[in-house]
Amino acid sequence: MLPIVKATNLTKSYAKGIRALDNISISVDPGEVLVVMGPSGSGKSTLIRTFNGLETFDSGQLNVLGIPLGSNHNEERKIRRIRKRVGMVFQQFNLFPHLSILENITLAPIKVQKKKRDEAEHEALVLLTQMGIESHAQKYPSQLSGGEQQRVAIARALALKPELLLFDEPTSALDPERVNEVLDAMRRLAEQGMSMVVVTHEVNFAKEVGDKVLFMDSGKVIETSTPDIFFLDAKHQRSRKFLNQIKKK
Amino acid sequence: MILKKIKQRAFSNILDSITTLIIISFIIISLTTILKWIFFSANWSVVKINLPLFFFGSFPKDQLWRPGLWMSLIAILSFATLLAPRWKWVPKFLPILWISFAPLGIFLLGGGLGLSPVESRNWGGLTLTILLTSFSAILSLPLGIVLALGRQSELPVIRKASSLYIDTMRSVPLIAVLFFGQLLIPLFLPIGLEINRVYRAIIAFTLFVSAYLAEDIRGGLQSVPKTQREAGEVLGLHPLQITCLIILPQALRVALPSLTNQAVGLLQNTSLMAILGLVELLGIGRSILANPEFIGRYIEVYVWLAALYWVVCTLMALIARHLEKQMALEKRG
Ligand SMILES: Nc1ncnc2c1ncn2[C@@H]1O[C@H](COP(=O)(O)OP(=O)(O)O)[C@@H](O)[C@H]1O
Ligand SMILES: [Mg+2]
Repeated sequence: MLPIVKATNLTKSYAKGIRALDNISISVDPGEVLVVMGPSGSGKSTLIRTFNGLETFDSGQLNVLGIPLGSNHNEERKIRRIRKRVGMVFQQFNLFPHLSILENITLAPIKVQKKKRDEAEHEALVLLTQMGIESHAQKYPSQLSGGEQQRVAIARALALKPELLLFDEPTSALDPERVNEVLDAMRRLAEQGMSMVVVTHEVNFAKEVGDKVLFMDSGKVIETSTPDIFFLDAKHQRSRKFLNQIKKK
Repeated sequence: MILKKIKQRAFSNILDSITTLIIISFIIISLTTILKWIFFSANWSVVKINLPLFFFGSFPKDQLWRPGLWMSLIAILSFATLLAPRWKWVPKFLPILWISFAPLGIFLLGGGLGLSPVESRNWGGLTLTILLTSFSAILSLPLGIVLALGRQSELPVIRKASSLYIDTMRSVPLIAVLFFGQLLIPLFLPIGLEINRVYRAIIAFTLFVSAYLAEDIRGGLQSVPKTQREAGEVLGLHPLQITCLIILPQALRVALPSLTNQAVGLLQNTSLMAILGLVELLGIGRSILANPEFIGRYIEVYVWLAALYWVVCTLMALIARHLEKQMALEKRG
């Protein structure tokens, strides 16, 4: 089967000299959950943001859902085609504060997929029920807790029926007691066979749900292992050091 | 209970007591003077006799129902807006009604489509003031939005042109723009096509006010975090959809208080047209005072004008504050 994401020798630098991505090659198969870990500034966000065209890259090849993306910058249409099939969830939720929860979720189905409002709202309510927050449908984002907002953000991403979901530290901005409600929702998605790339430092989630762990440092892939190997017997000194650090916290 | 509070707040020590007494006696003295003047000294006949002039200018007598109808509709619309939250079905129609009432005014005043035409020099009074204000406001809002977006454009040509326009307009006094509007706009038009002074004034006001609106809206745009655009992009929305559906609604909410200020300022500035020969509210006052019959009655006329301006401006401010509250409610619930 064709991989959902295939990156080959991706390289990108923001300022001259510092490489945010340094010769990165990985692939994500359908139904797979790839967990991306690494210290702050190692290029995790930059990497997953290239997958839906939020970041460009300087050289290498990238193929998302069979659509090849080059390092040139004029591919708006291709990128929008990819974005309609790839959902993304941000650290800071990024809900639209002026729209109700229901409107947040139905916006893209109505405006991008040209669905009828009734149909879009019905589907949105189903998603909200899955996320356990259907009672908040008519509220506004500022009335919800962080954990609830993040679940709305997941529902919003799911509304376009994506084939791949990208998560950039989805629980880092949450109160500790709110983390699990979001991780549980993600766990259920993984069980349903959703392909996901998740940047996270939640070790338990990575162990239970992850199929592969990608460890990055300074824009480079240090190692790609199964969670069993990575968390018990990491191949690289740097991975072990990093794991010790997050265990201490 | 109340007495105790008053005592605590206003008479807690000797200095406070003296200040309070002085202020109270000052208020009483000025109030009695003013009321005495209003009810005994002032001669309001100049206002009573000219009431139709103040409201409608020298509009033909048999057609007075047209400006009358228009003004009543505005009054109804204003109160409907203020009461809207109690009547759930109203809010849906309000924006459309508000946008259409300025063109409706032009139609009712100017005539056409079965109404007999009335020349613009017969438009006047409060009706003309509100027509100038509402039409200029409704035209300058979209222009201001375009300019504000232009100033943030990625295309240098558009960005520079918008900045140049905004900065130029903001460094010229309004009266100069109005003068040029009256004198120059006819020169730019092809011979034979003539637009009346009211339209020229509306164009000049629009060109001027939109530059200020653009700056207020730009402030609003800057208050919307970049991540909002990203969140829209990720959903596959078109850049134009993101601007219209996500960025602008939030920016306009933030800018609303300053936009209201501009609207109230605009209403007051329409009185400058009195100098340029339009008989809007201030102009009609001046022309009434020029009538030998009413000579010397200028205090009555100006007090009356001030009261009218005050009522209209207060109504505008009330509606604006009401909208702000509604939006804050929407956000918090
Ligand atoms: N917009 C940007 N402009 C310049 N440098 C950036 C930008 N975004 C990220 N970087 C740099 O790129 C590197 C990788 O950043 P990032 O991908 O955000 O790391 P992570 O998500 O792992 O914390 C860091 O050195 C960061 O300073
Ligand atoms: Mg990051």
